Amino acid sequence: MKSRPLDRIFLYGSVIVVCGLLVFPIYWLFVTAISTPDQLRALPPKFWPETPRWEVFGQILRDRPILLWLSNSALAALGSVVLSMTVSVLAGYSLSRFRVRGGQSLGLFILTAKMLPATLLVIPLFGIFRTVDLIGSLWSIILAHATLIIPFTTWMLKGYFDTIPRELEQAAMVDGCSPFGAMVRVILPVSAPGLAATALYGFVLSWSDYAYARTFLTNAQSNWTANLGITTMKGEYISNWADISAASILVALPVLVIYLFLERYLVGGLTAGAEK
Amino acid sequence: MAGIRIQNVTKSYGPLAVLKDFSLEIADGEFVVFVGPSGCGKSTMLKILAGLEEASSGTIHIGDRDVTDLAPGDRDIAMVFQNYALYPHLTVRKNMGFGLKMRGTPAAEIDRRVVEAARILGVDHLLDRRPRALSGGQRQRVALGRAIVREPQAFLMDEPLSNLDAKLRVHTRAEISALHKRLGVTTIYVTHDQIEAMTMADRIVIMKDGVIQQIADPDTMFRKPANLFVAGFIGSPGMNFLRSPVTSHEGRAAVRLFGQAVALPAPASLAGRDVVIGIRPEHIAQGAGPVTVEVAPRLVESLGSEKYIYIDVPEENRTTLARTGGTEEERRADTIIARLMNADETSTSGSLRVSFDPSRLHLFDANTQESIQL
Repeated sequence: MKSRPLDRIFLYGSVIVVCGLLVFPIYWLFVTAISTPDQLRALPPKFWPETPRWEVFGQILRDRPILLWLSNSALAALGSVVLSMTVSVLAGYSLSRFRVRGGQSLGLFILTAKMLPATLLVIPLFGIFRTVDLIGSLWSIILAHATLIIPFTTWMLKGYFDTIPRELEQAAMVDGCSPFGAMVRVILPVSAPGLAATALYGFVLSWSDYAYARTFLTNAQSNWTANLGITTMKGEYISNWADISAASILVALPVLVIYLFLERYLVGGLTAGAEK
Repeated sequence: MAGIRIQNVTKSYGPLAVLKDFSLEIADGEFVVFVGPSGCGKSTMLKILAGLEEASSGTIHIGDRDVTDLAPGDRDIAMVFQNYALYPHLTVRKNMGFGLKMRGTPAAEIDRRVVEAARILGVDHLLDRRPRALSGGQRQRVALGRAIVREPQAFLMDEPLSNLDAKLRVHTRAEISALHKRLGVTTIYVTHDQIEAMTMADRIVIMKDGVIQQIADPDTMFRKPANLFVAGFIGSPGMNFLRSPVTSHEGRAAVRLFGQAVALPAPASLAGRDVVIGIRPEHIAQGAGPVTVEVAPRLVESLGSEKYIYIDVPEENRTTLARTGGTEEERRADTIIARLMNADETSTSGSLRVSFDPSRLHLFDANTQESIQL
């Protein structure tokens, strides 16, 4: 069907507006980071500083333990992802492939955990972690994040495994694999896009957490995550928004890099050719 | 290579019995086809043989080994799936060698056998491609290659041709038969297509509702169907069914078809029995014969070399039994089909004289649906 010129103008116009709305906050964060406080307060606002302060990034890396915070965030996020993926791959695969009594209700019950607001779990989790002496340890937020990530990733992976023909693992079993071997050798490699998407979801959720870190890690400065660390840069009377913005950009970069790295896996279609 | 012995296998899902007391002896090197309509239990039986499903009861022996409780990988069988089930993340070479690798075969030996199997199947130029870069026919060959490279005791094939187009299906059908003759491996082949069954099988096992209806070679299955279901299923188009009371005529049984008394080569003791008379479309000929009737064709379909003539059945001969067939027209119970070879142009309009030989008629008990041997 041939599209009319007006339709195309409307389509492209809409795309440009939406992209503008999405990109503008990131652009403004960057402008804030490289502007001086005077320039930030200027009216009308300047959309690009006359003398950009490129040195701001090096400066906050020297002045603040940003790298320590980033490594703590990375440890917490990787720990949560590894734990969540291990549990949810096995759970999602079981829900997808095995008929268990009450399996469907069990699946829905898992999902209800996702329906609860994260803050609802803060107090009971705090009680549990205090009992087992995990307050102040990165393990506390690894476990807390996993409780949020697992329900959703289990369902994401179940949905993905449902799309993979059962004959693939049946063929692997006839070829000599055990059921677990068939999952590891055939189903998981074929599920790479689904695994990448769920792992990324878990990583971003953990990386962007503030509430749990604020509750469980406040008294352990050496274990602060990046998000928690950045909030301490805001003073009671004076806040250096340029530094805060520069730190925020440094914290956002790893997620961007990981996204770019996993992007090719996120595009589905690896199962093409398995069947007719 | 080995024979297969299936003894009293049943399979139930709760109250639903999908296989009922299935027993079969398959000789070493035999090509056996399980055929039947959807839901008859043929694929379930194949999966039980492969170890992918557990039988509710019964035993399975491959060669001298009782494999009933063995894992699929320990049964020394290879399977070709309907949708090929090639591993999409592996190349053709690795797909074909996967089973050997799982069994710890040395890499050099795997490579030798993969190359040999690929050469037999004509896919040796595709070894480094992934399945998504192959056509349907090529994928099918790779799936066959994955099976033969293992040199198993038996091949199990689950409707391997059903995803191919009609032309390729005929070609591949012949190739599988040739491959079986060359390798001599015991093969069990599942299909719902009776033509595949007839052309490929040493023996056919025809199934309905989880029960074996008949086990026979293709010719016997065609000439001496055990019951109405087999008679209607085997043959294309399927057998025509007519109804008539049996009377006695000069010491022989007789029926009334198309308004004529037709003496049967059967004893007069059949008189009074409720029977269904079967006649194959190809056993109706054009022109005069032992029993000749004048009919008005309702529909004529020309296939070039032959014509299908659809003939209305008189009210008194109509049955409620529908013929199996592809089109609604073929399934109509108030019509019989005559399959005429080299029919004249003139014969397809107006009235037509056709004939049949009473010795070619089949008789079935209308109540038990079992064949009555004439």
